[in-house]
Amino acid sequence: MGEFAPGRVRAPSTGRPALPLPRTSRIIAGFLLAGVIGLMAYFLPVLQSTTTPVVTSGGGILNPIAGPTQPFTVLLLGSDDDSKFAADQYNTQSMILVRVDPAGKQVTMLSIPRDLWVPIAGQRGVGKIDTAYQTGGVDAAIATVQQNFQVHIDDYVWIGLKGLIKLIDTMGGVNLVVTNPVMDDFYPADINTSSPYGYYRVALLPGPVHLDGVHALQYVRSRHGDLRGDFARSERQQELLLAMKAQAKHLNIANLPDLATAMSGEVKTSISLQRMRQLFSVLDQYNTGSLQRVLLGPPYTSDGWAGGQSVVLPDWRQILPLVHQSFPQ
Amino acid sequence: MKVVTYAVLILAMVAFGFGVYRAAGALKTDSGRVVQPSSTSAPALPGTMYVAQQGALYRFKDGSFTQITKDSGWTQPAASPDGTHLVAVMRQQNFSDLYTLYPNGQIQQQLTHHESPQVEYNHWSFYPRFNADGSRVFSSYDDKDPYSSYRVDFAIYALADDGSGSVLQWTVPNDYTGGDADPQPLRGGGLIYTKYSIDDKSQVHSQLWFASAAGRPGTALTQPADNCSQPSLSPDQTSVAMICRHSDLQATDVVVAKFDSATLTLGPAKVLVLGQLSASPVFSPDGQTLAFLAPVQPGEGFQLWTVPAAASASPSAARPITQSLSLDSSAPPAWVK
Repeated sequence: MGEFAPGRVRAPSTGRPALPLPRTSRIIAGFLLAGVIGLMAYFLPVLQSTTTPVVTSGGGILNPIAGPTQPFTVLLLGSDDDSKFAADQYNTQSMILVRVDPAGKQVTMLSIPRDLWVPIAGQRGVGKIDTAYQTGGVDAAIATVQQNFQVHIDDYVWIGLKGLIKLIDTMGGVNLVVTNPVMDDFYPADINTSSPYGYYRVALLPGPVHLDGVHALQYVRSRHGDLRGDFARSERQQELLLAMKAQAKHLNIANLPDLATAMSGEVKTSISLQRMRQLFSVLDQYNTGSLQRVLLGPPYTSDGWAGGQSVVLPDWRQILPLVHQSFPQ
Repeated sequence: MKVVTYAVLILAMVAFGFGVYRAAGALKTDSGRVVQPSSTSAPALPGTMYVAQQGALYRFKDGSFTQITKDSGWTQPAASPDGTHLVAVMRQQNFSDLYTLYPNGQIQQQLTHHESPQVEYNHWSFYPRFNADGSRVFSSYDDKDPYSSYRVDFAIYALADDGSGSVLQWTVPNDYTGGDADPQPLRGGGLIYTKYSIDDKSQVHSQLWFASAAGRPGTALTQPADNCSQPSLSPDQTSVAMICRHSDLQATDVVVAKFDSATLTLGPAKVLVLGQLSASPVFSPDGQTLAFLAPVQPGEGFQLWTVPAAASASPSAARPITQSLSLDSSAPPAWVK
């Protein structure tokens, strides 16, 4: 037996009182402490994201997240947050309502046309729905959707361009089927550049592909070369969400620090990272057969002209019954 | 002595803590890990195959990959009928050009010159394929619409492979659909290709079409609802392999069907690979095997797979040939003797 054998423990000769733990126990405790510190260091980005939540002021109007067995509705917001815009003064080019019903095992995704001409919460007049965030932040965006669609929103997630790229890259990319060539000769070259008004050409070839963050962003952002314009983009955004859900299935708790680092400052949400992972788990219980995807194209909307600009005009008599099939008031 | 002992203990604890940190990191899913083909080996396949990964072309022979080009945007290699050279795409940010290459990857000739200083005046060329006698290269090319700079649709063109610039437009794409892709020239002079369309309910469809000659109206070989694409002809041109996407599931099937060139019809489809994310099937030189690209694990990069091409083959007979690669799924392998 060596010096640290329990039978040879002696009181220190310095005159200080002996520690209550036997020496072996102290050594074990030391190793345990070192292990805990190692784990804490690894999960530090997660701890930071939960102790310093990325919730904006919009969290104040949000109800607590429902339990995993209760249905809940999340508003997903995506913005062009490049240097053309002042900080947090963005339009939300992507607005998707997601309703998860764990008991009914049903998920519904409803894409809201960005040019939908509606009364904006907190404003006197009407405007494109994507301007609500710019004028009143996430509070206004949520309130505008709630008022016009007569739905209740439990939570929101906002993500910018770089955030989406980093998130998907951190996930290891996504796999999906590009249904037809995605062609755009005027795709904005506004990321990591001092000249955000430039553009470049995009050609995403059809078929099953593995997309990194940059190409996934091209997939959901490109709109010029498709007959369906913004509606095609909305459909691709829903497809990317499904692909991200599938990809998230392969991540585990050890991936959380990387995700937290990627999302830091790039994603705003009323949902904690831990809770988001739970949501992904809940979503993972569904196959795509239990998923309903809704796009508000004709006859629910029509192209129009208002306020000196091209807009999408809603037919609420048709929209609201459709929405309320899946999204309760 | 006591000080040394404590120091060693503290160091051991620090090392243990660091080890826990590293061990936690090792537990994470690293689906983004990709290796270069040339740093790995795989079960040997008969003949020689050319594949693309991350902008470089690789030759796969006797179970080993050899990088034959720099990683400078190379993709979609296709072999000449006599197997003496390749045609491939070199893609840059705003344009892509076709080149003929020697089997060692050395450039033989640049066939197209699509670069322009004005972004929207650049052009794409993709999906190059030699015709039966090797005198022409078919490819998808985005001609410009003088009335709408937003419309960018592929049409299939044939150009002489002597660099003379002689071109012939074969197909007319549906507007704002992305157009026509995957040309597969037939010995008899016709062409099988993929045509994309968008119906009045805004649903996108892909169909295999046949065109008998340049500019002639084509004939649909598959139904819109089947969403078939990426055709590949068997060496004797009596069968067509393709992928089909049923409903909007993010999965595809690899199917084969007999092609009757007299009646211009496809026979019943036989599913060889069901419900994977399979892409770019090609026949082996003897027509007995299909190679295709698909992830081994969902969410990972695309690997090389093979499956017996016989219609009697079981869908479970597919086997992956590679691991940890990220092959370009839009680049069908070029498989020669």
